Amino acid sequence: MGAPFDLSFVFSFLPKLLTTLSTTLLIVACSLLAGVIVGFIIALPRLYKVPVLKTLAEVYISFFRGTPILIQLFLFYYGLPEVLKLVNLDMTRTPVLVFVILTYGLHTGAFMSEMIRASVTAVDKGQVEAAYATGMTSYQAFTRIVLPQALGIAIPVFSNLVIALLKDTSLAFTLGVMEMTGKAQTLGSVTQHFIETYIALALIYLVISFTIEKLLLVAERRLLRHEDQGSPVKRKFSLQKKASYRHIIADMGPGKGGGA
Amino acid sequence: MIKLERISKSFGRHQVLNNIDLKVSKGEVVVILGPSGSGKTTLLRCVNYLEKPSGGEISIGEFKLDCRHARKKDIHQLRQKTAMVFQQYNLFRHKTALENVMEGLLIVKKLPKEEARKRSIALLEKVGLGSKLDAYPSQLSGGQQQRVGIARALALEPEVILFDEPTSALDPELVGEVLAVIRKIAKEGITMIVVTHEMGFARDVANHVVFMDGGVIVEEGTPTEVFNHPREERTKQFLKRITPELNYSI
Repeated sequence: MGAPFDLSFVFSFLPKLLTTLSTTLLIVACSLLAGVIVGFIIALPRLYKVPVLKTLAEVYISFFRGTPILIQLFLFYYGLPEVLKLVNLDMTRTPVLVFVILTYGLHTGAFMSEMIRASVTAVDKGQVEAAYATGMTSYQAFTRIVLPQALGIAIPVFSNLVIALLKDTSLAFTLGVMEMTGKAQTLGSVTQHFIETYIALALIYLVISFTIEKLLLVAERRLLRHEDQGSPVKRKFSLQKKASYRHIIADMGPGKGGGA
Repeated sequence: MIKLERISKSFGRHQVLNNIDLKVSKGEVVVILGPSGSGKTTLLRCVNYLEKPSGGEISIGEFKLDCRHARKKDIHQLRQKTAMVFQQYNLFRHKTALENVMEGLLIVKKLPKEEARKRSIALLEKVGLGSKLDAYPSQLSGGQQQRVGIARALALEPEVILFDEPTSALDPELVGEVLAVIRKIAKEGITMIVVTHEMGFARDVANHVVFMDGGVIVEEGTPTEVFNHPREERTKQFLKRITPELNYSI
């Protein structure tokens, strides 16, 4: 069971773990970027109901949502080089980090696409009609009217996705990437102070998650400032005034008990 | 002049509009009446292609559009010649009253910002909302929102403004202020097609009244003709139900 518990190790491990923080954050940032791009590409055929592409997008989403991320990591790491060997592409020298970011990017992309689709659909159809009636093109209507409103609705979900991704990156050590969890494993084995390492590790994840959550909450308030109005009393008692609840209400149409 | 010729529309097998012909002269106010499901809103939405007609022709001035082979560019051009005021106001929720009016001027008309701002403020003052420039739609009453909607439509200086039941979603108390604004701009000679259930308003303001039922125009004429001397049985029935005869007995 290792060495007896000693709290001072928690503090001495913190700076050691933090040296690998950049790797973790690099994986998160690159995967998020890839995820948003992939998410858009996957969401568009579903939003515009493009026949064949829509089905492909659905298959893609069910694969990445329906299988564990650990298995996806292994499949890409061991499977992709084999497939690419068939077209004479040698991937033996490609850094592991590339496979990790690729897998997390595609994985997050599936969830992002669902987020994008849900938030765009949640914007009232009348908004698009008004934009068209004003004489806007469909591109102008999307970028000027739909997107800014959809962003505000998407942020609570986005916040969850970022935090989930941050925690999921802890699995990258299984492929031998030296990110925070990998470092913790090594520290634990060397010192035999496993509990202390994991407490220190948990603290770091907690602080980052908390910071991300708060930052995105500020962004959400800003994006939804047009909704967050009314007298202080009304704000206190109205469920709808709290922006985070808005996505729950967003799916209900007016006149069906949803309230206008 | 706006001319609709043989406009048809069907949803699946259900024919909503059946070969509708309608002419609206410049400066005219045309009111479309009819029971719900008669196709009046659909007809109005066909004029700016929010609803795609199955067939027919729409012409506005020199511009002509054949609905069977309308290209994206034509539809876009048609929409720039029209503006619409919606039943549910449909103001851009994330923009203030002023930004709502400015949006079309900046994005569609490509006016410089200062110019757009000046014009929008003037229009909002005209509809009596000079003090609400920076209010978001969620901070405005229904009547105020609809007046912003009217200012937004006016800003585009369209050939025709389409009103889709502009007072139906309002509290009875607020109907008056919106109708007053519409009356005011009608007097200025702006061409309008109005779908409404406000009979008094139709009688006062309209130059031409159209009564629709079952996807066809049953009867049309001046307000006096249609309201006081309806020719068709269906029109008489409808008017009777809307304006019940006073029949008191003591």
